Order: sequence, then C-alpha cells, then structure tokens
Amino acid sequence: MFSLRSENLGWSSARVLEDVTLDIGAGERVALLGASGSGKSTLLGHLRNQCPQDIAWCPQDGALVPMLSVFHNIYMGQLHCRPWWQNLANLVRPGAAALEQVGTIATRLGLADKLRTSVDRLSGGQAQRVALGRALFSPGHILLADEPLSSVDEHQARHLLDAILPAYDCSVVALHDRQLALACSTRVIGLRDNRVVLDAATDTLTLADLDRLY
Amino acid sequence: MRFDTTARGYRQVTLLLALAGLLSLVVADLGIHTVSPGDELRRLGAGLFTPDFLATGGLMAALANTVAFAFQGVALGVCAGALLATVWHWRPVRLFSAIIRAVHELFWGLLIIQLFGLSTLTGVLAIAIPYAGIFAKVFGEFLEESDRRPQTALAPGADALSRLLFARVPLIWDHMRRYTAYRLECAIRASAILGFIGLPTLGFHLETAFRQGQYSAGAALLYLLLLLILTMRWWLHPVLLPVYLLAALIWSPPVAPWRPDAWQFFLRDIVPAPLREGGTGNVTPWLQDLLSTQVLPGLGQTLLVGCAALLVTGLLGMLLAPLVSPFFGNRLSRAGAHVLLVTLRSLPEFLLAFVLLLCLGPSMLPGILALALHTGAIVAHLNGHFSGALTLRADRPRGIDGYFWDVLPRLYPTFLAFLLYRWEIIMRETAVLGILGIHTLGFYVDSAFAEFRLDRALLLIIAGVCLNLAVDGVSRRLRAAVRLSSSIRETAHA
Amino acid sequence: MTRFTLVALLAILGLVGCDQPSDSPNSGDTPATFTFTAIPDQDEAALVERFSRVADYLSAELGVPVKYVPVKSYAAAVTAFRNDDVQLAWFGGLSGVQARLQVPDSQAIAQGYEDQFFVTYFIAHEGTGLQPSETFPEDIAGHSFTFGSKGSTSGRLMPEFHIREQFGKAPDEVFSRVGFSGDHSATIALVESGAYEVGAVNFKVWEKALASGDVNPNRVSVIWKTPTYPDYHWVIRGDVDARFGDGFADGVQAALLAIEDPAILEAFPRQRFVETDNANYQPILETGRAIGLIDAP
Repeated sequence: MFSLRSENLGWSSARVLEDVTLDIGAGERVALLGASGSGKSTLLGHLRNQCPQDIAWCPQDGALVPMLSVFHNIYMGQLHCRPWWQNLANLVRPGAAALEQVGTIATRLGLADKLRTSVDRLSGGQAQRVALGRALFSPGHILLADEPLSSVDEHQARHLLDAILPAYDCSVVALHDRQLALACSTRVIGLRDNRVVLDAATDTLTLADLDRLY
Repeated sequence: MRFDTTARGYRQVTLLLALAGLLSLVVADLGIHTVSPGDELRRLGAGLFTPDFLATGGLMAALANTVAFAFQGVALGVCAGALLATVWHWRPVRLFSAIIRAVHELFWGLLIIQLFGLSTLTGVLAIAIPYAGIFAKVFGEFLEESDRRPQTALAPGADALSRLLFARVPLIWDHMRRYTAYRLECAIRASAILGFIGLPTLGFHLETAFRQGQYSAGAALLYLLLLLILTMRWWLHPVLLPVYLLAALIWSPPVAPWRPDAWQFFLRDIVPAPLREGGTGNVTPWLQDLLSTQVLPGLGQTLLVGCAALLVTGLLGMLLAPLVSPFFGNRLSRAGAHVLLVTLRSLPEFLLAFVLLLCLGPSMLPGILALALHTGAIVAHLNGHFSGALTLRADRPRGIDGYFWDVLPRLYPTFLAFLLYRWEIIMRETAVLGILGIHTLGFYVDSAFAEFRLDRALLLIIAGVCLNLAVDGVSRRLRAAVRLSSSIRETAHA
Repeated sequence: MTRFTLVALLAILGLVGCDQPSDSPNSGDTPATFTFTAIPDQDEAALVERFSRVADYLSAELGVPVKYVPVKSYAAAVTAFRNDDVQLAWFGGLSGVQARLQVPDSQAIAQGYEDQFFVTYFIAHEGTGLQPSETFPEDIAGHSFTFGSKGSTSGRLMPEFHIREQFGKAPDEVFSRVGFSGDHSATIALVESGAYEVGAVNFKVWEKALASGDVNPNRVSVIWKTPTYPDYHWVIRGDVDARFGDGFADGVQAALLAIEDPAILEAFPRQRFVETDNANYQPILETGRAIGLIDAP
C-alpha cells in the first residue's frame, strides 16, 4: 500500500524525518508511536499525499467546523461523492437518506443523541469522535488517523478501535497510549530524533520496548 | 539611556500624525464667516426642541424610500462582495475592490444619475457598488484569517462550492452576519444622504428644510432618521430580513426607464473633451490646465481637511472616552455621555457638516468639526467599550492619573489602529464634503457635473481614488511598522 | 416564530401594497403623463406654489395629466430633461442652452416678457460701505463674493463674465473668498447676514423679496446693474409630438403664451410669456464659451 525508500520528509526549511524506509502492506494495522514533535503527523501527512483518494483521514486537531452540527461534520466525509446541489440541500435541510447514513455512524460512535448538536457544544472526547466519524463516513479504504482518541477514556478507545480497524484494508494510527498500541495493532513504528527507530510486529514487543521511544 | 519600549513606536506614529494635523490646522481656513453664528445656532437649537413632524409632505414615502434603497443596496452589495471575496487572493480583485470602495456613495450617485436618472436603480447601485468593494475586503479578510484545517481535512475531489459552504463559510458566518447588520445601518445613513443629490430619500427634505432655515421641520426629519437607526436592533430580526427585502422590492422595484442613448455616457460623455473633438494634440494642455486649476488644489485641500480632522478626531476620542468608561464618572454622567456619543455616531458626517456649514459659514472649520465629531464619537465609544473589558487592580490610581497611567496605555494600540483604519474613510468623506461648498475635491466634482463635463468629473474622481489608495497604503505601513493588530478592522469600516 | 413571521409579512406587504404613493420613483413615467421640471432658483415653497398652478393649468388646457417633478439642482434639471424624465422645463438662459446641447432637437418655445432684457444685480452688505454705481464697481475686488448656483445665468454666468472682463482674472483671484450659495434666495440671505460681503442676484428674485419685506434694505443694497441679456425660458423636447400626438408642442406653446391668470404669472413673477426660439440664446452660448463654462465646439 505504501512504500518509502530513504526519503526525507518535512518542509524544505525544516526537515522533520530523515532517511525513512517503510513498506506497509494490505491487512496491516500500524500503530505509530513517538514523543510529540517526533514527526508522526508529518509521516501521516506524507502517506496521505501518496494516494489521497483512497484515504479515510482523521487529523490530530480534528479540523471540525465548530458551528455546524455533528451531522454536517460527519457528512463532510462524503462531500466529494455528491454533486454540489445535493450538498447544498443537505447543508440547508438534511435529507432523510443522509440523516440515516450519518446516524448509523454516529450511533456506532456513541453520538446518536448529539446528531443535531453543534460541535462547539461537545466535550473534547465527543468532538474527537466526530472527527473519527467523518473519516469513517468517507469512502477511503485506508485509515490514517492522528491521535484520534487521545481525549477518550482507555476503555472506550480500545472498544472503538477494535470495532473500526478491521473494516479497513490497512490502517496507520498515531497513538500516545502504549498499552492501546499493543492491544490494537499488528505492527508498531516508533519515531525518535528525526528517525524511524523501531519497526516491528506487535507480538514481538513489550511495554518496556516502547518506553525507550520517549 | 534610551527607553526601548513598544509604546515608543506608538508615540512616534502619533507624533507623525499630530504634526501633519497641526500643520494642516495652521494652513487651513478656520474662520467663522457668518456675522452672528450664535443667532443661527440659537435658532437651530430652538428648532431641535420644537420638531414639527407635519411640516414635510411625503415624509413617510421618503422614509420608506430611504429604507428600501438601503436594503436593496446592501443585498446586492453583499452578494457581489461575497463573490469577490471567494477570489480575494487574486490581486486584480483586491485592486478592483479597493477602487470601487474608494469612491463615495454620493459620487457614485452623481455618476449613475447620468445613466439611470432619478430612479430607484440609481439609489440602489450608488450603495451597492462601493459596498460590494467593502464587503469583498472584509469578507475576504475574514476568510483569510479563518481556520483552514477543516478544508484541508476534506478528501480531495469535492467541488469548490461545497468545500466553501461546508468548511469555510460556517467559520465566518457569525462575523459576516454581524458585519452585514452594521453595514445596513451605514447604508441607511448613505441612503438618506443620497437625497442631497435629488433622490427621493430623507436627505431630499432634510436639505430643503435646513437650507431654508425651517429648523423645526428639519429637526423632525433628523429625529426620524435617528429613530430609524437607533431602533434597528429591535426591528432588524434575521427572520424578517426576507420580508423586508421583499417589501423593499415591491415598494420601489430597482428599475430605471430604458434610455436608447445610454451608450453616449461611455462613448462620448466621459471621453476627455479634446479627444472627443478628434484631435489628440490638445490633450496635454487640457490635462495640465485641469491638474493645476482643479485636481491639485482639490487634492491638497482634501488632504489638509482630512489630516486636520484626523487629529481632532483623535483628541476628541481620547477626551470623550473616559466619559463612557466604567472606571470614571457616575452612572448619570455615563448615561448622558452615551446618549451624546450614540447620537453623534448615528448622524452622517455629511449631514453634520451641512448643518454646521449653515451656522458657521463656508470655511474648513465645519467640515473638520463634522468629521471629528462623528468619528470621534465612534472612537470614544469603542475606547470606552474596550476599557470596560480591562481588569484593573484594586489599588489602581484614580481620576486623571488613573486614565493616563493605567487605562490609556492599555487602550492605545486599539485606539491608534482604529484611527489609522478610519483615516481612509475620513479622506473619502472629506472629498465628498466639497459638494457642500468647502473647496475639497468634491467641490470640483460637483462643478464638473454642473457644467456637464463628465470627462472632468471622472478624472477628478479618479484622482480622489488615487489619494485614497495612497492614504490607505501609508496607513497600512504605519500599522505594520508598530505591529498593530487587525482585529478591530471589523468595527473600523464604516 | 413562524406565526409571528407570517403576521409580520402580511402586515408589511399589506402596508406596502395599499400605500404605494403615486410619487414613489418609477411610477410617474407612464407615457400618458406629461412631466415637467424647473431649475430650483429660489425657496422650494415658492417653487411648489408656482409649478403646482402651472401643472393644473396645463393639464386643463392640454387634456393630459401633467406632473411637476421637483429637482435639487440646476444640473439635475438638465439631466432630467436629457434623460426624458421630463419633457418640458423652465430653464435659465445657461441651463436651457446646456439642455439643448444635450438634446439636439429640443426647442425654446416661450420666455417671460422680462426675460428678453434680464438683469443681474450686484448687492453688497452695508458694512462694506460700497455705493451704487453706474459703471462696474471696481472696488468690490478684495471683498468676499458669492454667486448663486454654479449653473445659474443671472447668478453665475453673467456676473462672472463681467468680472472676468473687468479684471482680466478669474473670480478666485479677484475676491478674498468665492462661494456658490445654491440659489438666489440664499444669496440674498448670505449677503444680508454678512457671511459674504458682495453677491450677484437675479433682479426678479431681489425685487420680489424687497416687495414682500423678506429683505432688510438697510443691511443690503444694490450697487450695480449689469447690461441686459436673455434669460429664463421654457424648453420642450423634440419628440413630444411623436409621443403625445401631432401638434402637441405647439399646443404647449400656445397654452403657455395664453396664460393670463395673474395668480400664475405673479408666482414667476412675469407679466406674461412671449414667443422665443433657440437663436435668441446664441449670446448666452457664446458667453458660456467665453468664460470656459461650455466647451468650444
């Protein structure tokens, strides 16, 4: 799915990651670990640019439109799948079909009762789930998510990831919770000092291995 | 040792503006040319206390026209401005918007009357065109400063309109709404003023009443205009907007009688006279004569009045601000000051200048006073409002010490930024005051229209645009030099 | 909220629907209505009195609805005439010439009897000490001076012509301050109050103000009378016959010349109207060109 060969990532002025060599194949569930500023977002952004049409994208800050409802924010995942007049109609007055489709996803994320509430009235954890919902709603078959559940409690996070990840051909999820990473991934990639310093199957790793990344 | 402070930059900019203002005040003609201005003011005062609402016939129709023109003009301006704002990153669009908003509504009115006569369309376009430029700028900058992350989070491939409406516009919607409501208030003022050049709005009757010394009738019209503006927050409910707009369209549809010879305006009337006659050789003397006898004197006087007005505005703003600040005075003094400031702020400067001109005679004094009173009231109001948001320590100094040591330094960046933003608007207004007889650019523009020399009028208006762009550039540079924020821009564009 | 909106909507639309006045813009240009305007040369009260009578009279004589359209300035009167917002206008000498330059087939059809030999008065505030004189009063130089409207014949064109001829300089260079009062009533008021020391005024407006006691002769007095020139006249568009029927222009002319009602004539104030034509105003056109108010052909 992804293949990088000795690539330097980042902007021309500030190189964030050096000499990255990676192959990520179908069926893999990658957990991306590293201290903040270690380049997780940069790597995810680079992966997204490889094949943007195939990606279900969940950025770190959520990038939601706060004054719009949960419905509208999740709906945006399929904005490119519909003609503008349908989008406009759904913006002004959501149609029954769209409401049902989006409602299904909201229910999976535990947001069913918030569907018509604007995002600026939600808690941080709820807003994160909306951003994840937008990614789920988009038709991409590769999930790239940047700390999608950092404000959600461990138990629920694990439950959600377990439910979501199997549906994707391949996923790369940046996490900061090491136990969650061990529990939900098949492979861990660790970043430190502008380099990939760890790349191994999850079942060969222990918590102590992961602690060394920080 | 030299102080290395942020305040130093502010002081330097202030000094620069104050010097320009002082120089202008020294050179400007500030005489009072009526023999007994006191008598006239007394008669005016008596009129203000005895408003006569029945003296003017067709009052309600004038009121309805004023509102109808404003609503239609703003509606059209918002649509055009929003469209332009979507391509705000495009340099020609920014220049185009700057040019159309640098021309005052009255100048647009005088130009468009040539095409569409005294019709509703003229009134609507005179408001809509400059407002489109203003909306484009303000909305464009809202968009520029808004969060881009939601848009970048979208999967590629969505059409531009959907992206804009879902991921960009909702972020600035609230600002847009509030700004449009504020603009509507300005449009009602502008619409009223358009009566001065003959359109059937409140200004038509206001001009007649005041010029003929019927101050009671004039006062009634003035109060109606004030009432209309001050009660806006109650009658301007968003749900009712379409109703108002529809009513405005039914009341006076924006149409104009078709003129088969309208092409003459573009192909003959605005072509420089020597070119029209066929020879290109006479253009240079024509241009030289126009430059030396009208354009340059007009620009000079406009700059003079504008700079002087800016200084007086600043002084007034600083002096009046404590009157409405919660840290000074008592409830009664604040309420009184509030009423005074809101009244001055709600009256168009053109109208203030007109009334003062009648009382004080035709010098630059009424113009400077009118501009300074109107803008100074806005500045003071804003300053008072900002000072209300300050949290000051419990043992702060009080009174004059408190104002100069504790409050003013905190307010000063906002104050200065606002003043610099308003400079451009003051210049625009100064130019148009010439129509009343002060020898700024508008005087020559008005003369050119009176002589049916549209070529000259257009050239003079273009000169005014250049002056405005230059002042805008200087103001931008000064703001950048002392790193003043743009956050108050929203309120600064009146 | 919906019900509230509905009620408000009905109320506003109802109000607008029933109450649309006939004088709202655009509704006055149905082809059956013959409209006219006049240069606003004095107090609006006087104008309304004068022209509502004329409208009634013309309507009765011509058998079509006739409406007077008030305008704010001399230029607006000419523009309205050019744009066909009005088909007939009571112009001054200069504004009539300007109008005919812009609407080439229009005709001067009638002038006041007095307009054949019109005069401008130079008036001065008593504080100047200026005395009446038979020849041009050269000692007005250095005082402040006000014209009437920028487009006025008696208040601008002729006085400026004589000032330029006398001093060889533009008025700006002759006087300490030059203003444009807007109309003749305002000129009298400004000179009487001393806001301007000297002014140029339409002799008819002056004499009427003097007769009605609106002016204090001890404060302001006439110091010079210009030579005579042709002034106010009625101008009609050339296309009225096509729109209102053959012979319509002649009918208007006949109706104007036949006015005998002293109430109408006194409002102007003129003894009666007499026939005139475009050629009579050639001197005005030439004067306009001489002082640069009208571009040379």
